[in-house]
Amino acid sequence: MTTSNARSLDERAAFLEMKAREVRKAIVEMVHSAQSGHCGGSLSAADFVTALYFDLMDIDPAEPRKPGRDRFVLSKGHACPVWYAALALRGYFPAEELSTLRRNDSRLQGHPVATYLPGIDATSGSLGLGFGQALGMALDARLSGRKNTVYAVLGDGELNEGVVWETAAQAAKYRLDNLVAVVDRNNLQNDGRADVIMPMEPIDKKFEAFNWRVLEMDGHDMRQVLSTLEKARERSGRPTCVIARTIKGKGVSFMEDKREWHGKPPSDEERRRACEEIEGRTP
Amino acid sequence: MSLPPAKVPTRRAIMDRLVEAAKEDPSFVVLDSDIGYSTYSYLFGDAFPDRYFNLGIAELGTMAAAAGLAADGRTVFVCGYGVFLTMRALEAVRSFVCYPHLNVKILSSHAGVTAAIDGVTHQATEDLAFMSTLPNMTVLAPCDSSSARAAFDLARNTPGPVYVRLMRDPLKEVYAPETTFRVGGSHTPRRGKDVTIACLGDMVIQAIEASELLAAEGISAEVLDLYSLKPWDEAGLAESLDRTGALLAAENHQRRNGLGYELAAWCMRNGRSVPFSQAGLADTFAESGAYGKTLEKFGMDAAALARAARELVSRK
Repeated sequence: MTTSNARSLDERAAFLEMKAREVRKAIVEMVHSAQSGHCGGSLSAADFVTALYFDLMDIDPAEPRKPGRDRFVLSKGHACPVWYAALALRGYFPAEELSTLRRNDSRLQGHPVATYLPGIDATSGSLGLGFGQALGMALDARLSGRKNTVYAVLGDGELNEGVVWETAAQAAKYRLDNLVAVVDRNNLQNDGRADVIMPMEPIDKKFEAFNWRVLEMDGHDMRQVLSTLEKARERSGRPTCVIARTIKGKGVSFMEDKREWHGKPPSDEERRRACEEIEGRTP
Repeated sequence: MSLPPAKVPTRRAIMDRLVEAAKEDPSFVVLDSDIGYSTYSYLFGDAFPDRYFNLGIAELGTMAAAAGLAADGRTVFVCGYGVFLTMRALEAVRSFVCYPHLNVKILSSHAGVTAAIDGVTHQATEDLAFMSTLPNMTVLAPCDSSSARAAFDLARNTPGPVYVRLMRDPLKEVYAPETTFRVGGSHTPRRGKDVTIACLGDMVIQAIEASELLAAEGISAEVLDLYSLKPWDEAGLAESLDRTGALLAAENHQRRNGLGYELAAWCMRNGRSVPFSQAGLADTFAESGAYGKTLEKFGMDAAALARAARELVSRK
């Protein structure tokens, strides 16, 4: 948003915290409506996705294909409820459409599809392959002389995919400092603890060894999210990896850090409780 | 009349045309996965280093990058060996190139057992099945320099993903340089009235040689070059079968799920009950060896096509 820099970090963070609550509520209601979808990994990414869409990215919902826009690729495509929520609340399409998630004839496919919805630049859902598309977009921006930044959001479990490291090497070869990968480090994947299913630590040293710049942040502290992502988009001669330490299911106490909320829809009662919590009506 | 020898393989002919076109068209880019001295993409890389990306031995990541490069409409040529591009990178081709209908053009070398000398790991003998099964994909299989050069222009000018099947070795020249080609078209380099040999790629050359063997014994074989496998020239086949009433499908590929199955299904759908047989790999892997000897061993050389055609004529 154009006025963001005129406001203090505290003001911006307060605004984004309010927006993130709206995004979280939309995630829960959307997955409840579909009775299918991924709450946990959507909620863990909700704060930094909100910061990108409501503050940091150079985008225009009225002109979704504006050539110089920043690009966003959700490489962990199963978390698309957070993306759909952010896009709808930012004005890319009517929020009423969120309740059509995963239904026939809906533009809100089970995993994001580029040609279906305004604001979605890359199809994703098969883990590891959104990241490579983001690299291609960063190369395309450079070739076209555009100054935009390409953001890719990866899950920590996604780092198991070998192709992630093909892309990491390729991005470093071309010193794509217009590429920012945000790793949603919530330490849970489908079958359990990420560091038990397939230990990937030290993630920071891995990316550093691939000649990336690495930054870390508390993915739920909006001030840190803003200041870290602002630093990440500064050109440094290297691609940047931001490790966002997050909690899967963040914002809904009974979902937080619980494996089973990776891909389980809430019941009517769970939806009610979740929304009350998010709105702050219960402690 | 025997065919003149080719000076260059189709993998080289298409790249020569690509480099020519690049001089007038600054918009497209070329990706390779460390096989540029074999695909000849290095010719482009030497001339246009800013538009050439060697992304290392990483076909899957390279195909994903191609999708990203094409996301805003840019045309991207991805060069490599068919086995790797159509199997290791298959998922990226399907979900991130074909599904969003992007302008990614796959220039795929070492088709069928034309890479015989390298052995099975390097022979693309299922690529037509994989590629022609994907929605939105156009599939071309040129047989010589003229058709390979034309395939470049067809690939560049056809919206969406295109797969071009190329060969390792220089074979023969079939078409005059001014010959025109189109997506969904075919050519009939030999006219006949007893049997149609429908074929593509190097099998066009074997089929023409087979037609000469058959002519010597009084059998008139028509050679139908279906250089565009998807979409393919249904009207051309219908007219050819009107003339001949018998069909041999020849492909340097598995017999399953390639040209032969496509044509057989069409015959069934259209009530064309003609004697039919196939030449191609019979649910088997090939092996290392000389190209000609390997064709012979696996029933895809001119003599084998002639035998199959003779048998079809006897069934009429």
